[in-house]
Amino acid sequence: MKMVMTHDKSLIKFLEEKAKVLRKHTLEMIRSSGIGWLGGSFSEAEIVTVLYFHQMKHDPRNPRWMERDRLIVSKAHCCEMVYAALGESGYFPKEEFLRYGKFGAILQAHTDRRTVPGVEYSGGSLGEGLSFAVGEALAAKIDGLDYKVYCIIGDGECDEGQVWEAVLSAAHFKLDNLIALVDHNKFQSTGEVSKKIRLEPLSEKWKAFGWHVMEVDGHNIEQLLDTLDEVGNVKGQPHAIICHTIKGKGVPSFEGKNLHFVKVTDEMYSEALKILGE
Amino acid sequence: MIKEYVRESLNELKTMYQAYNEAIIELARQNDKIVLLYADFPSDIAGEFFRKEYPSRIFDFGIAEANMITAAAGLAACGKIPFTHCHGIFAVGRAYNQIRQNVAFDMLNVKIVLCNSGMLWPFMGGSHQVIEDIAALRAIPNLMVMSPADAVETKRVVKAAVEHSGPVTLRLANPPTPIIYKDENYPFKVGKPTLLREGGDVTIFSTGMLVSESLLAANILSKEGIEAQVFDVHTIKPLDENTIIDAAKKTGAIVTVEDANIIGGLGGAVAEIVCENYPVPVKRVGVKDEFGQSGTVEELKQAYGLSAKHVAEAVKMVVKQKS
Repeated sequence: MKMVMTHDKSLIKFLEEKAKVLRKHTLEMIRSSGIGWLGGSFSEAEIVTVLYFHQMKHDPRNPRWMERDRLIVSKAHCCEMVYAALGESGYFPKEEFLRYGKFGAILQAHTDRRTVPGVEYSGGSLGEGLSFAVGEALAAKIDGLDYKVYCIIGDGECDEGQVWEAVLSAAHFKLDNLIALVDHNKFQSTGEVSKKIRLEPLSEKWKAFGWHVMEVDGHNIEQLLDTLDEVGNVKGQPHAIICHTIKGKGVPSFEGKNLHFVKVTDEMYSEALKILGE
Repeated sequence: MIKEYVRESLNELKTMYQAYNEAIIELARQNDKIVLLYADFPSDIAGEFFRKEYPSRIFDFGIAEANMITAAAGLAACGKIPFTHCHGIFAVGRAYNQIRQNVAFDMLNVKIVLCNSGMLWPFMGGSHQVIEDIAALRAIPNLMVMSPADAVETKRVVKAAVEHSGPVTLRLANPPTPIIYKDENYPFKVGKPTLLREGGDVTIFSTGMLVSESLLAANILSKEGIEAQVFDVHTIKPLDENTIIDAAKKTGAIVTVEDANIIGGLGGAVAEIVCENYPVPVKRVGVKDEFGQSGTVEELKQAYGLSAKHVAEAVKMVVKQKS
């Protein structure tokens, strides 16, 4: 893949620091709720950060602005990282973080469009978000609007047949305003993706279905920025970015462990604070 | 005793899907938010019209009902009014979770047309005859569940679906169905069953293409001295409780009639209201918890107990149970 180093070092530094802040919010959320999707939230940290704090046009004061870019988080259990980004952006007060997952809170377990300003899609049932994104991308085409629809998909989620229905249809409808980012962290709920249902060769599958496909290190901000820029150069095809990521990325003792649906122990908490800042 | 807006003769037939197509063309001219989605389903005259006049507002998703219905939710989230089209069994059977989670959960403005619904779909056999849709769909919060009685009412229901901001399912039968209403100028209110025939001995609540059978049954019964009031329940959900309770009080016996499983369908909905508010004998006419088979409409009606004769028999039984 062609890499064009065009991004200001200060932007990259800013986004790297922002990702760290979002990990900290996420940690506090899961610490407070007692349980959560730590591994998968940390693996998508850079993806979410780059989208909300650089790539997407959106307005926290006007969450339903018609011409905004949309982010559909299909792996909606990893809502903590998304809520962290929305709260940090100013969609709602950060005090809400500590009410995450509690009765009556706006921050429900699994992204919830009904209650959380800025959330586009109520997920929780895997494999459906890309179809929703297809519908939003079609609406943009009908209206002649130039907003983009981004969709974060888990790798384990690609077991679902509906993902591939959506992949087929997006290519058929030539949705070049649709960008799927696969958080390829190699784990799903109860084990390694490769030992559940083999997905590889994953990029080739998307290519065979007619998508413009790129692969990046999903924790490398500069690569993510370059790749998202590259999207604009290819017309007539939807875009897939296979993001190679690590579950729990950001805190060395978390990395490479599944940490799918876990509590944050005192030991984990103090270890993480040393890295993410008190 | 027949209301003035009901035809004396039920000999003229028309399919609900034909009427639906006529209605959606008219509505699409007035409302540019309407878009049509198909899962490799015949798009009929609406398809021809849209491809000529509004080609950017019609999509064929192929044989992928789940993708179609979730994509419809995405379109609705961007302000469109999508109508999805496929066989009823595949919307409910292949995309139940998508209807529940992607459409109803967020109250998105998707209209799901359940084509060829019910047991009375000739030839196609049990795999295609959806009988569980009413029970399954009415258990989903936020969803409006509509089931017109004839071609005229289909047009009213499609308009009501567009006027309602939120998710709606529309249950259409396959065969040409007797036209019941003289024209569209009759008292139609979403959620409130329409009175078709007055009578004091028993109430028949009926929905879909068996409403005409219920009217025929009322004529048979009248000759035997039993006067039935007949309601067309065009909206299964919401369902006006007062209409049901008043009927229980007035006639003291109720028969429900539907081309669907008697478990949890219209019969279930009516029985729930009656039991909780004013218990009177209720008899449910419908498919008795069994899968169907190939056959003609008439053969299927007789085999599965869905004819005027069966309605009349149920009425006589329930009238006997009146205290």
